[in-house]
Amino acid sequence: MRTLLLFLLLAPAARAQPMGDLLIRGATVLTVTNGTLDDTDVLVRDGKIAEIGSGLSAPRGVRTIEASGRYLMPGIIDAHSHIGITSVNEATSPVTAQVWVGDVLNPLDIRLYRALAGGVTTSHAMHGSANVIGGRNETIKHRWGETDPETIRFEGAPRTIKFALGENPTRVHGKGRGIRPATRMGVETVLRDAFTEAQRYRERQDDYEAAQREGRRMMPPAYDLQLETLADILDGEILVHTHSYRADEILMLLRVLEDFGVERVTFQHANEGFKVAPELAAFGAGASVFSDWYAYKFEVYYSTAYNAAILTRNGVRTSINSDDSELIRHLYHEAAKAQHYGGLSDDEALALITINPAWQLGIDDRVGSIEIGKDADLVLFEGHPLSAYAVPQLTIVDGVVRFDRDQDPDDMRLFVDPEQEVDDVTLATEHADACMQDVATQGSWWLR
Amino acid sequence: MLRSALLVALVLLALPARAQDATPKDPGVRPVTRTFAITNARVVPSPGRLLERATVVVRDGLIEAVGADVRPPFDAEIIAGDSLTVYAGFIDGLGHAAISDPEKKENEDKADIDPGHPPRDRAGIQPDRDARALLKADDGSVEALRKLGFTVAHTVPHDGMLPGRGAVILLAGENADALVLRGDASLFAQFEGASGVYPATPMGVLAELRQLARDAERRQEGERLYADDPAGLQRPVSDPARAALAPATHGERPVFFSVDDELEAHRALAIADELGLGLVLGGLRESTHLADKLATAGVPVFASLNLPKAEKDSTATDSAAVAPPTSEVFITERRTRSYADVDDEVDALRAKRREAIGLYERNAATLHAAGIPFGFATLGAKPADIRANLRRIVAAGLSEDDALAALTTTPAALLGLDRSLGTVEPGKMANLVVTKGSYFEEKAPVRFVFVDGQRFEIDEDKGFDPEAEVVVAGTWEYRLVTDDGVQTGTMTISDEGGTLGGTVVEPDGATHTMESVTLEGNRLTFRLPDTPFGAVDVSGLVTGDTYTAEVTGPSTSPITFTATRRPE
Amino acid sequence: MPFLLTLLLALTLFTTGDPDEGRRGTFYLTDCRIETVTQGTLENGSLLVRDGLIEAVGEAVPQPADAEVVDCAGGTVYPGLIDGGTRLGLQEIGSLSETRDYAEIGNVTPHMQALTAVNPSSTLIPITRVSGVTTVLTAPSGGLLPGTAALITLNGYTPGHLDAGFRGVVLNFPSSARRGSWDRREAEEIEKQTKEAMEKLDDTWEQAVLFARIDSAYQVAPEPRPTREYVPEMAALAPVVRGEVPFLIEVNAAKDITRAIEWVQKNSVRAIFTGVAEGWRVADEIADAGIPVIAGPVLAQPTRDADRYDRAYANPGLMREAGVQVALRTSEVENVRNLPYHAAFAAAYGAPYGFGREAALEAVTIVPARLFGVDDRLGSIEAGKAATLFVADGDPFETKTEVHHLFIDGYLMPLTSRQTELYDEYLHRTPGLTK
Repeated sequence: MRTLLLFLLLAPAARAQPMGDLLIRGATVLTVTNGTLDDTDVLVRDGKIAEIGSGLSAPRGVRTIEASGRYLMPGIIDAHSHIGITSVNEATSPVTAQVWVGDVLNPLDIRLYRALAGGVTTSHAMHGSANVIGGRNETIKHRWGETDPETIRFEGAPRTIKFALGENPTRVHGKGRGIRPATRMGVETVLRDAFTEAQRYRERQDDYEAAQREGRRMMPPAYDLQLETLADILDGEILVHTHSYRADEILMLLRVLEDFGVERVTFQHANEGFKVAPELAAFGAGASVFSDWYAYKFEVYYSTAYNAAILTRNGVRTSINSDDSELIRHLYHEAAKAQHYGGLSDDEALALITINPAWQLGIDDRVGSIEIGKDADLVLFEGHPLSAYAVPQLTIVDGVVRFDRDQDPDDMRLFVDPEQEVDDVTLATEHADACMQDVATQGSWWLR
Repeated sequence: MLRSALLVALVLLALPARAQDATPKDPGVRPVTRTFAITNARVVPSPGRLLERATVVVRDGLIEAVGADVRPPFDAEIIAGDSLTVYAGFIDGLGHAAISDPEKKENEDKADIDPGHPPRDRAGIQPDRDARALLKADDGSVEALRKLGFTVAHTVPHDGMLPGRGAVILLAGENADALVLRGDASLFAQFEGASGVYPATPMGVLAELRQLARDAERRQEGERLYADDPAGLQRPVSDPARAALAPATHGERPVFFSVDDELEAHRALAIADELGLGLVLGGLRESTHLADKLATAGVPVFASLNLPKAEKDSTATDSAAVAPPTSEVFITERRTRSYADVDDEVDALRAKRREAIGLYERNAATLHAAGIPFGFATLGAKPADIRANLRRIVAAGLSEDDALAALTTTPAALLGLDRSLGTVEPGKMANLVVTKGSYFEEKAPVRFVFVDGQRFEIDEDKGFDPEAEVVVAGTWEYRLVTDDGVQTGTMTISDEGGTLGGTVVEPDGATHTMESVTLEGNRLTFRLPDTPFGAVDVSGLVTGDTYTAEVTGPSTSPITFTATRRPE
Repeated sequence: MPFLLTLLLALTLFTTGDPDEGRRGTFYLTDCRIETVTQGTLENGSLLVRDGLIEAVGEAVPQPADAEVVDCAGGTVYPGLIDGGTRLGLQEIGSLSETRDYAEIGNVTPHMQALTAVNPSSTLIPITRVSGVTTVLTAPSGGLLPGTAALITLNGYTPGHLDAGFRGVVLNFPSSARRGSWDRREAEEIEKQTKEAMEKLDDTWEQAVLFARIDSAYQVAPEPRPTREYVPEMAALAPVVRGEVPFLIEVNAAKDITRAIEWVQKNSVRAIFTGVAEGWRVADEIADAGIPVIAGPVLAQPTRDADRYDRAYANPGLMREAGVQVALRTSEVENVRNLPYHAAFAAAYGAPYGFGREAALEAVTIVPARLFGVDDRLGSIEAGKAATLFVADGDPFETKTEVHHLFIDGYLMPLTSRQTELYDEYLHRTPGLTK
């Protein structure tokens, strides 16, 4: 084998993401954090917002986009999606903290482009909700056109992990396999057990390190990627994003996190978040909710589309997410529903899909508003983005135009399946439960 | 699904042979000589070189002499090589030669297993398993590959993320041990999740690889400490799986990662980089966006011989057939505004798919252009398609010399066996392919294959006459001969203006509709698509009112199928 | 949301008992902008509701003494919106089979009546109503002929109250489309299954025609007549054979639509196509065949990876451009309330094809009313039609717009639902953090 080993060198380092330069002139700029600026120019250099003002001129060779009469808003951020990855659920155990959807990114997923055509520049590709502690998620940018999975990572974004409470984990593991948890009581136990194991694990590792320092002989403890990950959560290095619906289970997790000293958590879906809005606000937790989905299962029966408004009014940092490859294409419209249901202001509604999800993902220093120094992730709309008639025209990621309604050809596939018929049709009229994707193929035949 | 007798017969053949106490074993007759001389042949000693009217002498498993002025020894059997071409035997870089696919253990013992913590074999983590222990000299794949000119194969076990360690074997031998050229050739890895248990997804596979590799380091450290002085230390628990991983994680044994597409290739590159694995990619089908990264990483590749089906021959109504080059049709801002543009859209989509098929056909040429060392892998390829696919690969821009290098010298070097394999030179192992005409031409049958000096006469095409005009329509009585007896039934073939179709009806009435019925000269082939084992292919020759054919399926050895036409 | 609170207070004063209860009376709507849909727009008009009907509408409608005045305050009156395809009332909670009543066992069950199983007390109904949707088609699904759909109004306690008159027999036309990304069937397998389903459909239809012929003959045959066979499936299809009831043909993939057109023409069936996701690809064929469509959902992904991203949004417009009569549907249950937004997207992306806001409004009012044969009562603001209408403070397709008054058959409906009640209860929860 020596001959072969001669060829074996290190893989190349991750490639640099393309950064662009642009001048967008005369748009109504919806900064989100600094109000609305009429007839304003935004200059982008090397992928960052360099200047915001009037009468800006484009440096040599920099493309100018005339945007008079149009609306420019920060790139939309979806705090909950399952696109751009090829595995969603490792549904084989109630705790799978060791797995990571960042290992299975798919930059060729056409749904990433379609979301981009709806103004989404960043999304949170999440593990599914089959397990109490699922896998780690990955925050990605929709850099459509790139084919190397490394290039769609949101470089530098904090690590996050998926938890899930309630019906999904109790159905998959308890009712499906006879493995705890089968109840919401069991869910709490699984969480406390896992965190405690992680504490013990960390102690063993610390003992070993101390022994090494002191020159004491000691058998090295086993390495456990799952417990390493859980210990990192306890150390505050991984942000928790938990699938949750009912008020009681939200409160349960708050107590558990408090007991273990975990400070950053965002409750995903949280259809009953409105019932415990004061508690969420007091903890400093985020909520990432649907605009109006409910009644698809019992734990979302007592829901209200006024959820986002109630949470916002009670001081909970709230976002509106998609969890769905169709909904992700019009999050601006989903945010607008929070005006219908609760009368949020334009800036409050826009914050639901920009700066608030950015905060929940720990990337609000980089994206989520139009400010000098932030990433040039921008969407140009015909019509105000909170109008139901709004049509996104251009979506820009790091100053690079990645979606152009006028210029893009119809067929934007990066991968053409040579074995597929050209008239292959797929209908998705039922909402696919993406959170539970892959579960059915892992022996859980009772799921659809 | 009707579990028909035909299918039962196919299954039984796939099972291991049972003890048959009283079956007489014909000892046969020993060969008169083990020395051969192929005279007056075109010899390709290595890619790019050619010796006209040369003689190759094979003795005792080795090549003794090669050249125009070589005289055949007196003890040699002479093979008149006029009109024949001699190549070095081909080498399969990654496949499952001589190792059959075990039955899946889908729902076995499910109740007793915690799906989160399954036993290693259920999880697909068996790096300690050795391909050598799984070899079967009479596995159908050995002959199937040999007939195509393959003489050596790097073979790996089936199933799961770490199915085991690979071996380099000869594609002929008395028994399993005799096949082995080299054991411990590789660690085989794939993104194949376990069924219903952890790790069930490619995501789980990657996490588990990380876990195994990092924990293996810890354990080794513990074992060193304990070996040094066990006093006061807990004993390290024996763990053959992790022990078997150590050479791979230390870069001492190459990890052959089965990767189907670019995404999987990226993932394999990333995890290999992270864990310091010596990576080889096997079975890669397409690499357009990947070639630069592979070249930079210096990772060798065994490109897949499994190509997507070529676009069917366009009929007169298919305007795409005469459409301008694909680039003009779709690369630019093609729009389908409304129903009026739909016909053009179909043409454009077909063109785009042709282009995609082309990317697969050009895969090897792309790798070559990027300077990436590559061979070929039969993994996932049907033996029946391999020669045609090689022709497509050559037609798509890989020169015949480079294709030959990828079948001989490059895999020999990548597998570390270039001192004994890969060329037709004195002193090398007598692995040869002898064809009538260039191997890369369509009507150039393989006549002989030598493996380790043993001669195999390939008579696949004996009796095949491409010019023959035969009539196949009618009702036939067929006989299917298996170890378990003989089945008879009827086969009906219709010919409607040149379009062939038909059915095979078993005695119990089970009916199979033929697909892809083709008649080339006197060779009739068809496919029976709807068996629980996937499609089964039947191919054979028609002589007068008799049809003699072989049935091949995805997991079976060939079965003989004969038919006689019923008089009108 | 002070408006809702005020309204709630106001309603408590006027009503007794169940706050969900509507109130019938004589109402005089004044200071209204009126989009009649069929007769243009009145910039400042009045409207008189009496005995469940629009008695008068115009710029100078006299105010009767007995009428309760409803001040539109410059808001606009629209006819109640009609959703051309839902499951409303047939499902309460998606994942609980005990609450799902839309799919009966059997492949051929046209005699299953949606109206039988519609739950008038479904909590989803008031949630739907407050967005201006007053009338929906609710349909069984699954199998080849899942049952008979009914048009219902969203007010009442019995099926009779809900019944808006129209019936249609649902036919799921044999489909060559995949049912989701998890559907990995080989192309050949799909083709085979489609072919088998077509044969089943043809056989069934042949039987239905035979049944209808015998049935008609039986009616006029002299006594004594032989005992008739009991075939309720065929009895349900007989009105379709006779053209009294249309087939609601669910069909989506282009080649299936083409096949469905051939089938409809061969069998001279009265048909409305529903779904029609790929209608734009064969819009000329649909237009030539004169078959109207109920398209939707509009908020949907393209049917093919190679398709332009906005195909589903533009589909109604592209069909209309080719001359197809287009109504819309949401295909929803719990979110039928989003019908106005489906219409808005169809308008935003259909405008280049002549399907702007006006056409979109027609597609959720007068067009479905005509398709269902109820345009004498529904679908526009005209004297003599049912007083099924609402008053909004702007374009009802915009999210910022609020519905301020809503009438169904002359009943002034409360604009509350479980969702508004939860809002009122929890906006400022007491006790708060501490008791």
